[in-house]
Amino acid sequence: MSALARLHRPATVEEAVRLLAGGDGERTRLLAGGATLVAMLNAGLVDPAELVSLAAVDELRGIGTLPDGGLRIGAMTRHRETAADVRLAGTLAVLREAAARIANPVVRNMGTIGGSISFADPAADYPPALVAADAAVEIAGPQGRRRVPAREFFVDWYATALGPNEMVTAILLAPRAPGLGSYDKLYRVAGDYAIVSVALSVAWRDGACARAGLAVGGCGPRPLHLDEADELLRAGRLGAQAARRAGELLAAAADPLDDVRASAAYRRRVIPRMVERALAAARDELSRTA
Amino acid sequence: MRMEGRFEVGAPRERVWRCITDATLMVACIPGCEEIEPVDARSYRARVLVEVGPIKARFNLVVEVTEELPFDRVASVTRGEEGTRASMLSADNLVTLTELGPELTEVRYSSEVSVTGRLAKYGLGMMRKRVDRLGVQFAERFRERIGSGALSA
Repeated sequence: MSALARLHRPATVEEAVRLLAGGDGERTRLLAGGATLVAMLNAGLVDPAELVSLAAVDELRGIGTLPDGGLRIGAMTRHRETAADVRLAGTLAVLREAAARIANPVVRNMGTIGGSISFADPAADYPPALVAADAAVEIAGPQGRRRVPAREFFVDWYATALGPNEMVTAILLAPRAPGLGSYDKLYRVAGDYAIVSVALSVAWRDGACARAGLAVGGCGPRPLHLDEADELLRAGRLGAQAARRAGELLAAAADPLDDVRASAAYRRRVIPRMVERALAAARDELSRTA
Repeated sequence: MRMEGRFEVGAPRERVWRCITDATLMVACIPGCEEIEPVDARSYRARVLVEVGPIKARFNLVVEVTEELPFDRVASVTRGEEGTRASMLSADNLVTLTELGPELTEVRYSSEVSVTGRLAKYGLGMMRKRVDRLGVQFAERFRERIGSGALSA
């Protein structure tokens, strides 16, 4: 284990990208909230030579409203802030609920959305929520900025669409529509990663379902999502039969692991039940409010 | 943990044999392999980079061929560690070739692998998925090379 040689504190995204590109690629790392990276450093799992702290980059902080009414969540926004933002309502409530379920208050005070999705643990809470809400991820790199749909951002176990020397700068959300968002997770103990999680975002207008987004976490290399399941739910107006079918489709498409939390077979069994439960709760809520 | 897999190659068995015993070609096919250097007639030194999330482990390995039955099977033992001793790896490997047709060969590989240290953090299930993926990548690259005539016949 070698000592950490330098800690950089750039003030802009461009400077951060330059430091990343100028360093020794393998041993220069970005430091966001540190909720995961510092724990890994302390455990001796990683030994970067240089850290580029994003703490002083103003652009990355906080949640802003876009001209079209959508939201821009800066990469350095803490889970606690996201969990408390009332603009994340309607279809976007899924994100607020997911943020509120991450780990524990200490982690939510430190951890950031950009750090979390860059680490891309498939059992983490944000990935399925962002996929369900059909969010986009804004990325900065040596070639400038680009946007990637969340549905394409997560590519494999702990692997994302981020290229060399690229970083996440923000999450972009379309304007919220009336409807609902929900996030539920099955876990061993409070604060743990999900065994299985279900994220749902539904646009509902005049008694009809305009759009449904459903994603499952913890059951494969990336959030599990099928256009076909979304369409079934929309066309079936979130009905029990559509929910059952969507759950079965997702369970069949899942590629879960056996790990300390549960067996792969158990996860496959739980997926349809969690999906049905989420949809039953959604129907309940809509019948009360619509 | 035991890892195994198989794939087919559209080439005669002798040709496949020459490829799997060609160190230069193996460097190009093994995912993450940066260097293979012969030590003596029966052993090689190799450097392999394994990346899982933010963990990048560069292993210095010694591969010793323990049994070589031309055109049929190669058994080897791999031992190694990261430079910092943060992870250790050892493996008993067996590769067998079966002639399925004059232009079709089946490659079977199995390995009893043990990894300790920081990479073991990810657990067995995850490593297994990872290795399956590496196996597929290896097969793809191998087929490409063998088909492209990269090998001096």
